[in-house]
Amino acid sequence: MKPRFIIISLTSCSGCISTLISLDIFPQFLERTKIIYFPFILDVEKIEDCDIALVEGCISEESEINLLKEVRKHAKKVYALGTCAAFGGILSLSNSKDIKPISDFIQIDGIIPGCPPPSKLFGNILIRLIENKDTSLSEKVLCANCPLRENMEKILDTDIIKINPNPEEIILGEENSDCFLKRGILCLGPITREGCESKCIKLGLPCEGCMGPVSKDFTSNIINFLSLVKLSKDLINYEGIFYRFSKPKLRR
Amino acid sequence: MKRLLKIVDVCTRVEGHGTVKILLQNDEISNVDFEIQSNRGFESFLIGKKLNDIPKIVSRICGLCYASQTIASCKAVENFFNISTPEQSILLRHLLLFGELIKSHSMHFYFQSLPDLFQIFDISQKLFSPYELIRYDSQLTTYIYELIKIGNEIEKIFGGRSVHLITSIPGGIVYLPSRKDISMARKYFQKAKINLEFIIDKFIGVFSNRVPPEEYDLPNVMYMGLNNFGNFNRYSGTLKIKENVKNSIEFEEKNYSSYFEKDINLRGIDFHFDKNKRFLVGPISRYKITENYENDNINTYLGYFDKSWQNSVLFSNFLRLIEMYFETQQGLIILEEPVLNRRTILPSLTSLKNSEGIGVIEAPRGMLLHHYYINDNEIIKKAKIFIPTEINIPIINDTITKYAQELYNRTGDINIVKKKIQTIIRAFDPCISCVAH
Repeated sequence: MKPRFIIISLTSCSGCISTLISLDIFPQFLERTKIIYFPFILDVEKIEDCDIALVEGCISEESEINLLKEVRKHAKKVYALGTCAAFGGILSLSNSKDIKPISDFIQIDGIIPGCPPPSKLFGNILIRLIENKDTSLSEKVLCANCPLRENMEKILDTDIIKINPNPEEIILGEENSDCFLKRGILCLGPITREGCESKCIKLGLPCEGCMGPVSKDFTSNIINFLSLVKLSKDLINYEGIFYRFSKPKLRR
Repeated sequence: MKRLLKIVDVCTRVEGHGTVKILLQNDEISNVDFEIQSNRGFESFLIGKKLNDIPKIVSRICGLCYASQTIASCKAVENFFNISTPEQSILLRHLLLFGELIKSHSMHFYFQSLPDLFQIFDISQKLFSPYELIRYDSQLTTYIYELIKIGNEIEKIFGGRSVHLITSIPGGIVYLPSRKDISMARKYFQKAKINLEFIIDKFIGVFSNRVPPEEYDLPNVMYMGLNNFGNFNRYSGTLKIKENVKNSIEFEEKNYSSYFEKDINLRGIDFHFDKNKRFLVGPISRYKITENYENDNINTYLGYFDKSWQNSVLFSNFLRLIEMYFETQQGLIILEEPVLNRRTILPSLTSLKNSEGIGVIEAPRGMLLHHYYINDNEIIKKAKIFIPTEINIPIINDTITKYAQELYNRTGDINIVKKKIQTIIRAFDPCISCVAH
């Protein structure tokens, strides 16, 4: 029997959904599954029992909590699709909305991280879901397989003064040779999960953390990282560098 | 006693979360509103950010119009420094906009508008899921999926990834295409051209002899969009508002606020130009403003559709195919430019010239404008983002209210009204994620 899927969006940009539809394997995905609820492309209005629910977006409103719980009730497995659903995402920057990842409200069975999820990783997880295989992710940080690893600084004593290199400093068409942290540019590789094939780094731009953290204890990872690097005063006062994609949890 | 009834219906097959609110007063429809559920507050959390940090944040406004959002934003940031973007970067930005448009338009065409068109013209009443569409026409389905993939691959090659591009930063595009990239992209555009010719022929064959129903007719509107000497160009130009051949006005982007401005609560856009007029942006406006596509095939294709089509919002479905076809060929021309893989150094963004910056672009759904203000420390103190669908909402509401009233009087069946309204809304191709920025 074909696995039955539900695909819903909460507060989001629909980028994970558009990534899904443009995956190489999307036609195959349609063929090998039965999609029973997917408002983006289907007119169905009622949520019914399914094997797997993919949930895109974070929770920003009361009504979304009800919808999410309804989905949980009907689904054997629920996956957080994208960094908003998994960790809060870009709206973690919001100063007016109290947004939360879906795991704050329901038990989830897995995540497909990324903003948007990298196509290769996304496609592999979908196939594994269809085939009912293990979908666990690498628990390594981005630095573990960084293309600049050979030139990585072991002791970080350079002052970090920038979050972006200046445009004229990026040499087009050539791989950068030095670790960003060595060049005084903040790179979130040390606290971000691998799986994106280091696309930004290969293009000469540092990691911004869109894949989200490895360990659940994101806040202590940041504190740990901060104790190892020297941030300039300007950056210390700059908001939303570390929680641009992942909302830190405050437990009391 | 007055009896008031509010009926809310959730929109399906649209991008994002929208609802329709129908207000019944003594069993007569008094008003219908297309509503966007929530505002995510991008304009407020941009405050306090550094200039070169903005484009990648605003990309996250929309997973369909990400390239337009980022590039409009980069243009606005560059405006602070009065720098000229390298030609190579401008060409690459064009390619990124083309890829985005191909992906966005083909998704809308296939999943959202095609099922409606089959129903509106009474060709089939039950082709509503991708499963049914595949069975109905497997060739068309394959060609559409290929187009979506092509759009995606163009973004991957020149943007670093398919959504929320990496390479687009203030100053230019941080990517030097290799010969292999260029030849891959050429193959993709050539394939897209073949697919689009097939789909366009099919569209003409099935629909051009039919007359679109009156309820989809556009009322008298003011068309707005970028004008680049009458050519079709979504990257740059002056802003034009056109009512008809005789009556139009043109102005530079820096003077936009003499014509329109954000609502005080940042919800919606007010035109001081003429308060009684409705404004439309998107494919239809681009078509009205373009004087010459300089492409014989396109002129022939357009010739198949008479006045009854040209006044209908349903015509935008055909225009979306034409726009993809046009940009596919523009893409092929750009790929032949020698400057495309010539080593370039991006300009430095250190010497600030202005305290405000404006960037405008034609997104797939119409004119998109970003306007930022900074304080003495070069930190954003105010941001205004003008979303195409925000401009279109008043005309969408007018059209659905008028038709709902007439249909409900005639049939008394609120379910038919609900269904029909949704097809009208989808024909306007609203981008709800963008509106809910």
